[in-house]
Amino acid sequence: MTTTDVRPRGRWVRGVRRTLTGLHPALESVLAAVVGLLVGAVLMYIWGYDPWRAYWALLRGAFGGDYEIASSIARGVPLIFTALTFSICVRAGMFNIGAEGQMYIGAAAAVCVAYFQLPAGLHLLVGILFAAVAGAVWSLGPALLKLTRGVSEVISTIMFNWISRFLVFYLVAFVLVDPRQAQRTVRIPVSARFPILVQGTDLSYAVFMAVAFSLLVYVVLWHTAVGYEVRAAGLTPTAARYGGISIKRTMLLSFALGGVAAGLAGAATTMGLPPTYAIISGLPELMNLGFDGMAVAMVGRNHPIGILFAALFFGGLNAGGRVMQFYGSNPVPLEMVRVVMGAIVLAMAIPELIRLFPALAEAGRGLARTIARRKPATEEGA
Amino acid sequence: MSQTSSRSDTEQGDGYFLRAERITKVYSDGTVALRDATVEIRPGEIVGLLGENGAGKTTLTKILSGLLPPTRGRVVSPRGQVKFASPREALDFGIGMVHQHFALVGTFTAVENVALSHERPFAPLTLSATRERLEGLMAESGLKVPLDVPVEKLAVGEQQRVEILKVLSQDVDLLILDEPTSVLTPLEVDDLFQLLRRLRGEGKAIVLITHKLKEVGSITDRVIVLRKGAVVGDVQMAEVTKEELAQLMVGKEIGTRAAQVVELSTDDIPVPISRHKEEAKRGSGVLHVENLSVAGDTKSQAVDGLTFDVFGGEIFGIAGVEGNGQTELVEALTGLRPAMEGTATIHEKNILGLDPRQIYKLGVAHIPEDRWVLGLVLPFTLAENAILGVHRWDQFRGPLSILRWGKINAHVRALMERFEIQATGPSAPAKSLSGGNQQKLIVGRELAKDPAIVIASQPTRGLDVGAAQYIRDTLVEMRDRGRAILLVSADLDEVLALSDRVAIMYEGKFMAVARPEELDRQKVGMLMGGVGVKG
Repeated sequence: MTTTDVRPRGRWVRGVRRTLTGLHPALESVLAAVVGLLVGAVLMYIWGYDPWRAYWALLRGAFGGDYEIASSIARGVPLIFTALTFSICVRAGMFNIGAEGQMYIGAAAAVCVAYFQLPAGLHLLVGILFAAVAGAVWSLGPALLKLTRGVSEVISTIMFNWISRFLVFYLVAFVLVDPRQAQRTVRIPVSARFPILVQGTDLSYAVFMAVAFSLLVYVVLWHTAVGYEVRAAGLTPTAARYGGISIKRTMLLSFALGGVAAGLAGAATTMGLPPTYAIISGLPELMNLGFDGMAVAMVGRNHPIGILFAALFFGGLNAGGRVMQFYGSNPVPLEMVRVVMGAIVLAMAIPELIRLFPALAEAGRGLARTIARRKPATEEGA
Repeated sequence: MSQTSSRSDTEQGDGYFLRAERITKVYSDGTVALRDATVEIRPGEIVGLLGENGAGKTTLTKILSGLLPPTRGRVVSPRGQVKFASPREALDFGIGMVHQHFALVGTFTAVENVALSHERPFAPLTLSATRERLEGLMAESGLKVPLDVPVEKLAVGEQQRVEILKVLSQDVDLLILDEPTSVLTPLEVDDLFQLLRRLRGEGKAIVLITHKLKEVGSITDRVIVLRKGAVVGDVQMAEVTKEELAQLMVGKEIGTRAAQVVELSTDDIPVPISRHKEEAKRGSGVLHVENLSVAGDTKSQAVDGLTFDVFGGEIFGIAGVEGNGQTELVEALTGLRPAMEGTATIHEKNILGLDPRQIYKLGVAHIPEDRWVLGLVLPFTLAENAILGVHRWDQFRGPLSILRWGKINAHVRALMERFEIQATGPSAPAKSLSGGNQQKLIVGRELAKDPAIVIASQPTRGLDVGAAQYIRDTLVEMRDRGRAILLVSADLDEVLALSDRVAIMYEGKFMAVARPEELDRQKVGMLMGGVGVKG
């Protein structure tokens, strides 16, 4: 019967644990990014690539010049929106993974502006409004299911993702299709496009919409009574109810606001994405942006400002990864970038993991005791 | 009547099964749950463990059954000292406990649940053997439960029987039951008691935790009375009256009521609750409740047709053992739980069916019984917590629903000063505060509403003496300013000392409503235990 309290090594382990668990959230995210990159490096090394050259290429491709930086930002823009969708709902105490589907619907709604004409600025605004409303309306499905029937939003949003995916496949192929170019929808007219910010790149004025929306979400959540209610309900629903807050209302609101964000992601990837300004059959420009947004949200610690930086980082990984796969004699495949992303998301959980260590150790000891127990637990009397 | 069983008795005690010797338990937050408690359990005997809330009954049984280690003292058996690292080890030793909240997997059948309790890592599952064993046990003990129905579909009494069978199937010699009758119908109680008597006949030791005097009288052989963590009585049931037991449970008669100073009975724990109160100047009626019935989570009628009034300038106290409907009553009055029937009005405006915020607008402040679940959003800052429930008031909210953090922070600083809240500042997270400061924050927030009535539920629970006294003084001050106070507390001394009128609640009804001067502690003890008092 040894006591485990006083071990020489214990102090060191505890020290590390204290340091890690007390880390500032922002530092945690940086640490996770570093760990993710290291894991990627080890994997590249094992498969015979040169990690240093690959990362150098990645860095150059992401931030090596004006063009590269602009591309990285452009790739981050939709991620900002989809990350916000996830984060708003996390703050309200829900796990909304429906950004993907809501974004598809938003994109399809945005494309509809091609069917009528309006003055330049107004046309753009109407398109944004279409996308935002469509995303919000689509998000109401899971929200209402949850509020009226208690359906878990995790399940229902996944289902709604599939529904919207094939719905938009159908719309792209049969309804919104361009009669002359059957592989894509009609193009959004010039009057409804976001102007290009940096000529020759994908970066449009949509980035301002993303930053502005981020700031708006920040203000709403932290500086209005409504946002206060949403956060209170997300953290301690019982206390929120005691405080006279309607949980149903905060859930509905956060789902709708998240839907607006996802819809805007759809607007940014159609009205703000040259050169096609349309949805291509199979949705290659949209696919997975909603899911990547969840990773961005985690790295950004579900904070609108953190998300801006995290989206820039992930946008850089995406943009740089494309360069990485053309670089040198033994180029690294793009999939490696996704490995790094996955490793980063996993590494985000390290501080939590360390909090779990004592519990794991206790479970291990319990198991050992169970196996060892063959005699009754009686000791010799004192 | 001897206060504790004499030492020499237990020394010769050949026949004891387990003895807890001089057990002291101090929890990590500094609460002393047990003080030097010595009890002995003998085979073939039903022992009642009697005491108020917080007397240490549950802690004692948890130590006996291996769930908690004692801070000081030891548990011995005739075979020597025993130490349990887990309930499983205690079970192997022959000690089984049936908790108030059953540890059953709802979707499993009785057989599967019992098999689960026998399960060891990496050992094969033995459903058929378990079934045979259970059928044998059921024939032996007369306990009948459906074996192949998911237990969640069974009645509560049946679930309890599954739980008891689960423990019996481990061949226990000591069966501990924590408030086993609180969820049962009278018929089920009779069945249970028959079973316990049969088990006693088989030579098993049985410990029954309870606060119901009636039950103690009808089933136990010996009663151990705990008060404030100390064993204050260990008597043969045949040698004592219910009145004596009630007195033991709640403490000695206090002769100084007239001086309005109440002191706790046991000499070693002096926690005086003093109140220098002016005579109540009762104002007009504030809260009027008529024929109110409220359903509980498990009981269909947790509050059973209550009618009462609370007037301005008085403290109306509700005493009673917890779980007799107090929580449901408060929740119904504050908009957290729907009422089944009856009316409740504040200044003649109906409050039933309103949501909490509308009720606050009518002048209600609510100090909830659980500050971590209801009263505070722990990760929130002081400032954020200080506006919970009043966050939509105009003083804190500008145009476009923008929160005025400047004004809120100023408000919090004023609260911190006035209520002596120790914290680094308005942006400190509430979870970083001590329990006393958290409670002061809640009290401060609620009283800052300038309410017509304060509904305070267990307002001093878990607080140190200083913080508790501060909060009591604050409530009295509110009363003196003409506000109505509805005080619900399981701390009898507190209720008696603070209240102008006291109601004693038992199973959803008021056993009596009286001025504290008219009540002696023995009477209160009887009423709390559900025994009516004549005259």
